[in-house]
Amino acid sequence: MMLVLLLLIPALASAFISLSRRRRVMEWTHALASIAALIVGGVLAVRLGAGEPVALWDLLRVDALSAFMVAIVAFVGAIAGIYAIGYMRLEFDDRQIRRVRLFYALFQLFVFTMLLAVTTDNLGVMWAAIEGTTLATVFLVNIHDSHTGLEAAYKYLIMSSVGIALAFLGTVLMYYAASAQVGEIGLSWTSLIGIAPGLDPDIVKLAFVFILIGYGTKAGLAPMHTWLPDAHSEAPAPISALMSGVLLNVGLYALMRFKAVTDVTAGPAFSSTWLMRFGLLSLGLAAAFLVSQRNYKRMLAYSSVEHTGIIALGLGFGGYWGMLGALLHMVNHALSKSMLFLLSGSILLKYRTTDIRGVRGLLQAAPWTGFWFLCGVLALIGLPPFGPFVSEFIIFRAGFEAHSVAYAVTGIALLALVFAGMLGSVNRMLYGQASEQVKPGDPFRWPMMPMALNLILLVGFGLLLPDGVQEFFGHVLKVVGVLV
Amino acid sequence: MVLFPELPFARVANLLSFLFLLMSFLLLIRNSLSAQVRMFAVQSGVLSALAAVVAYFGGSRELFGVAVLFAFIKVIVIPNVLTRAVSKIGIQRAVAPYLGTSVTLAICAGLVVVAFYVMAPVMASNRLPTSDGIPLAFAGVLIGFFTTVNRRRALTQILGFLMLENGIFMVALLATYGVPLIVELGVFLDVLVAVLILEVFVYRIKHNFDSTDVGQMGALRG
Repeated sequence: MMLVLLLLIPALASAFISLSRRRRVMEWTHALASIAALIVGGVLAVRLGAGEPVALWDLLRVDALSAFMVAIVAFVGAIAGIYAIGYMRLEFDDRQIRRVRLFYALFQLFVFTMLLAVTTDNLGVMWAAIEGTTLATVFLVNIHDSHTGLEAAYKYLIMSSVGIALAFLGTVLMYYAASAQVGEIGLSWTSLIGIAPGLDPDIVKLAFVFILIGYGTKAGLAPMHTWLPDAHSEAPAPISALMSGVLLNVGLYALMRFKAVTDVTAGPAFSSTWLMRFGLLSLGLAAAFLVSQRNYKRMLAYSSVEHTGIIALGLGFGGYWGMLGALLHMVNHALSKSMLFLLSGSILLKYRTTDIRGVRGLLQAAPWTGFWFLCGVLALIGLPPFGPFVSEFIIFRAGFEAHSVAYAVTGIALLALVFAGMLGSVNRMLYGQASEQVKPGDPFRWPMMPMALNLILLVGFGLLLPDGVQEFFGHVLKVVGVLV
Repeated sequence: MVLFPELPFARVANLLSFLFLLMSFLLLIRNSLSAQVRMFAVQSGVLSALAAVVAYFGGSRELFGVAVLFAFIKVIVIPNVLTRAVSKIGIQRAVAPYLGTSVTLAICAGLVVVAFYVMAPVMASNRLPTSDGIPLAFAGVLIGFFTTVNRRRALTQILGFLMLENGIFMVALLATYGVPLIVELGVFLDVLVAVLILEVFVYRIKHNFDSTDVGQMGALRG
């Protein structure tokens, strides 16, 4: 019941918004739907995180891993949703009401497709939902209808479509391996994992390679990441926050589901090796672009490639610590990156440029925005007392434990490079003297306030891991086949 | 590895698979956009015929429905959308690939060999009479992928993507007699929506850049 409600809220809100005429109605529908989805999603996560999975009509099924993802989607959706109202008021006035309507309707549709992708048991429906996320966001990337926006949207659409098509091929091969084993079966993950030990390992490996390339494109793994810096930097801030903070995780979620099956059939070594290779490549490529990045939105986007790489490394290192680190890092990255992308929207509204050299004296000119931006960046580059420090530590520790010392050492060296590069760029933005034309004061305050939760949670994950949360992660790890 | 050579089913399926791949190559050597769209339509027609054949011999009524729907969307709707786009944009000779035709053909021939190599584990375990066509279908996937990468024009890139989709549909058809219906419907719907959106983009690119040459897009770097 809760599950149906969770999916109905954004779907109905999207439909209602696309029919409404007045801006106020759209804003209220959007805000209420975002908060309602957060409440329902939170209740669902708490209830299911500890207990048995809930299934509905052979189509929907929420286990601990799904509950984990629902919590991330609903949380970032709500924070970005509230911020979006303030942002859109400054960005589009009432004469552009059609774009405002498009924005809110597609925002809710985007949330709906992500929630569907993580709550369905049917791998085909999951595939269609993830393809749906591309279709829902492509117009949002190009909402300003600019030269660069169009270029970004086109690249995004072509790259994602090809990627997702390859993921479909992988899904078909997986289904083929299963039907060769037991004859006619559905395309459900539960039945697939049940018969995984008897599948043909060669075909499953082949399927996994296609899945990794396909969903890896969505997750932003190098070298299929080329659309990401463009799309994430051209989209309006709330959408960038959702794309970087959550959508990448949805891609990783799909990978984790298939990895669990592949590991049972062919042993964990196969998927681990590939994940580590792609992970390290992503980390390295992102570091190269982060050292001297001139555009702060692109800087955040490349940092998403970097963090996807770190999470892939964690999944590759495997074992209890590797997987736990990867899960924690998914949360930490979602919290810090969504906050930073939202703040980048405030900076853009204030300075009207995405060039790092054009932004000076942020701390002085916009104290709240500046201070929170600083905290977010410190968290993102992995300083204590914030969560990412802990999860990165856990991941690389797992690397040493798994005898993947070369990967771990290279990874840590690259992290140091990113650390120096990003801190240098951000320093230039925060200090100095703002130019005369920039009005002092934050562009707005109340839409930013919910982000305090991000900061509190980031510090929370950095300092302690309460028993309840630990137990929750234990259940999630069991779903992906890790013995706790 | 033909298990049932005496069956006309396997022969018909193999013949259609071969025709499918032939269309991919014919599309590559055509110069005008509208001819390429026609080749795509013919390829889709071959594919829906193959689906109908599999449905007939496999005794699946659902799959027959899929074949009809497939023919409707990919032989009629999408080629019409693309033809309209071609005439509105007003370019006829618009191939302009990064590599010339002879090099392209040589690479695609190589891709067919690669396809046989990659699909070896699938072939080894297959007990279906349609299995001989699987590497050909996968070659279609690879050629579609290569076309998407190699072409400059937005419209020919879309054609490459559609060829890739056709190849994947064919792998699914030959290897499993079609994945469950709900998924296939989702796939059709997605492809249709994707093409409609892409068409909108082709107009906008034309409008903004004065040409549909995506090689001109170079503002976003680094």
